[in-house]
Amino acid sequence: MYGRKGYQLLKDFASGEKGQLKPFNSKLFDETIEECDQNHHLLQSLIRKMQQEDLDVPNNRNADHYGALIHHLSLMRNKRCLMAYVYNRAEIVRDLAWRVGLELLDLPSEIQEKLTSLEKEYFKNHSVALKSYMGKVGIELNVDMVPPKDPYIKVRILDDIDEGIVLSDKTTNFARHSMHFLKRTDAEPYIARGQMEELTD
Amino acid sequence: MASSSEVGGSSADYETMMSTSDVELLKRAWRNEKAAPEILQYEGALVERAKEQIELVEETIEDYVENGKDPLLVSLYQMDLDRTQFLLRSYLRVRLLKIEKFMFHNLKSEEAERRLSEQERVFATKCADDLAKHFEETVLLKLPENYQSVLKQSQISEVDDMVPQPHLDTFVVCRSNNFVSLNLYEEGESPETVEMERGDLYFIRYKIVKGAIESGQIDLI
Repeated sequence: MYGRKGYQLLKDFASGEKGQLKPFNSKLFDETIEECDQNHHLLQSLIRKMQQEDLDVPNNRNADHYGALIHHLSLMRNKRCLMAYVYNRAEIVRDLAWRVGLELLDLPSEIQEKLTSLEKEYFKNHSVALKSYMGKVGIELNVDMVPPKDPYIKVRILDDIDEGIVLSDKTTNFARHSMHFLKRTDAEPYIARGQMEELTD
Repeated sequence: MASSSEVGGSSADYETMMSTSDVELLKRAWRNEKAAPEILQYEGALVERAKEQIELVEETIEDYVENGKDPLLVSLYQMDLDRTQFLLRSYLRVRLLKIEKFMFHNLKSEEAERRLSEQERVFATKCADDLAKHFEETVLLKLPENYQSVLKQSQISEVDDMVPQPHLDTFVVCRSNNFVSLNLYEEGESPETVEMERGDLYFIRYKIVKGAIESGQIDLI
């Protein structure tokens, strides 16, 4: 049945949690592409057959024409499915760049596993575009993602961060489970990466 | 801001520093941008002025900290500064996100292109190039020849049919500043109008109020 693989590919994508990536399903992806190739060959052979019978290809409506039409439509549908899959994953990759950080190495390894090398390339290119825009405008756009209520917040450290991180007004030693009173803009990148959590009481 | 005798001399500075009308304008632009489904006109002059004022306040705060001024006052200035910075950053961020979402459309439609600033245009072209390259490498080069275009479904399509466009039909909440009378339907159909008094709240399709927002008569909430 033509088009089933494309449908399965998209269902696989949709079955992940919204906003989270699943590992790139290369098997289904390649199978769908093979199906496209098949469709294309059959389409071309049908058109050739019609030409050999000296029939006017665009205007003659016989069984071969409709067969060719089905192959063409199925090919377009597969193309749309494939592109939708890639497009939606790319959207999530861009979202990651905003939320977590612009450096590829900052992404936690569980996420890095799920991206193909091409997607990592795309991530890098996109970060470069963002950084150059931010440089030109002169304002950093990844901080302050949440409207500021207080300039200082209480945080608790969750992971071992290297010692001697330099913050804007002091150097502190971040031991695990310690609590600190930091400036919001300083703490935000760590919170986004899951290394600190904000204490709200 | 109440000015005590200590800060008597600097209250005039404060007025020039944080002239509320600019912050109000920025807030208004930010709210409109957040609520609208498509990208709106770039407020270049406003952004420039806001940047200058932010720098000015930052310098003043540093001065105050060095001179040991009342820390409460300093932290009040700091909070105000943070809020304005957040507004500015969020405004630019919302615009970038809209550009990212409707990349190809923004570069194709002349109207949308006019609304971008110079740097945003550069960003949008680079973004679109990146995405097109990504598509080509992952999918399109593996497909048969007539189907390799990013924007068209196949060579047979007459228009670029794979470009996602912003939904101008979404409903938005708006409030009007003046008395406005709008045509509810497309031209040619029965011209029903909706009339809005000053301060009325309406829940209406974006398409209808689009022109009024650009001219500043209506605000989105």
